[in-house]
Amino acid sequence: MIRDILDLALRLMLVCAVAAAGLGLTYGAVKSNIAKMEREEREEGARKVLEPAGLVAEEDAELLSRLQGDFPDIQGVFRGKDGSGGTGGYAFVVKSKGYNFMTLAVGVDSQGKIIGVATVKQEETPGLGSVPAQSEEYLSKYKGLGPEPPVLKKDVDAWNGATFTSSGINKGVQMALEAFRELSGEGGGKR
Amino acid sequence: MSGEEKAGQDKGGYLRELTKGFITTNPLLVLMVGLCSSLAVSTRVENCIFMGLAVIFVLTCSNVIISLIRRFIPEQIRIPIFIVVIASFVTIVDLTLKGYFKPVYDRLGVWIPLIVVNCIILARAEGYAYSNKVSFAALDGLGLGMGYTSVLLIMSVFRELLGTGKIVFGNTALINLGSDSMPVILIMFPGAFITFALLLALLQWYNARRKPEEEGEEG
Repeated sequence: MIRDILDLALRLMLVCAVAAAGLGLTYGAVKSNIAKMEREEREEGARKVLEPAGLVAEEDAELLSRLQGDFPDIQGVFRGKDGSGGTGGYAFVVKSKGYNFMTLAVGVDSQGKIIGVATVKQEETPGLGSVPAQSEEYLSKYKGLGPEPPVLKKDVDAWNGATFTSSGINKGVQMALEAFRELSGEGGGKR
Repeated sequence: MSGEEKAGQDKGGYLRELTKGFITTNPLLVLMVGLCSSLAVSTRVENCIFMGLAVIFVLTCSNVIISLIRRFIPEQIRIPIFIVVIASFVTIVDLTLKGYFKPVYDRLGVWIPLIVVNCIILARAEGYAYSNKVSFAALDGLGLGMGYTSVLLIMSVFRELLGTGKIVFGNTALINLGSDSMPVILIMFPGAFITFALLLALLQWYNARRKPEEEGEEG
């Protein structure tokens, strides 16, 4: 009886061990590529929301780790470098939830005004939520708002038929502005 | 369930094992398994190609491995072992897509990990691979995977073309009807059911017209 159980357990364990080894090898092979893809996505988003203000995006891992305690949904923080090398603003890559998860990049200038909002990634329903989430015109309504976090249906209209998506975008923008407030509250205009 | 389909391989041979997945044993239209993912991903042709390749890969590999080690797997723990094998291949596909085909990975989202619980794979492991030799198991996986993919492609061409007016690969439209007023309902959930029901009706009609002795060879 005991021998039977041991036999089954050993066979199952052997299969699992082989499977684990195979997965470990696969992960090792693709790990660096996954990290690279994700970084490129973040960078592209940050570039889109900083360039209109003439700023050059530069990822800052130290700022990210400082913010991540209070804002676990922030996935990346970029400094916007101006011509003289100073920090003229920030871009926050934030994860928010509309009908599904979405990732947004929000550019904020040194006064806390929004430079721009861009969608990095979204999985909203095609034809419904995907329309405002991909519409540059809709996202541009956030331009110039801040430093007070904008309120949906007061500062910005929700998109007809996609209220969840609109509120997801709004939550993302609010998160970015709160993060900006925390950064500027701490170090002031840290150069 | 085991052994139930063993007889099939003597009559038809290799070619039959490969082609049965399209009509006689089509996983979606005849066995009616794995429907959930097919309804969800068939909004875009591009998604379906990758989803189909993923299913073909997982189905063939898991069939081969399970058939290879079938004498080593005791009856009592066969299901956990099937799941481990299937889940491993699904994870390999998931990681590969994530590393090299990021846009597709983002769009297929949860459906790739969900291949683990796709009934097609477990049903073929349990009902076929566990009681047949490796070469047949491989052909069975390949054939059924292609059968699944072909239905997915038909559904997605219909839904994407008529629902959005174009067929898009990457960022370029391959076919563009140039119309903005298409029935959007086709790419939403009701469209999935309507399309699937039409295909099902078509196949039933075709099967009903075939000679009686050709019918019902496979489960």
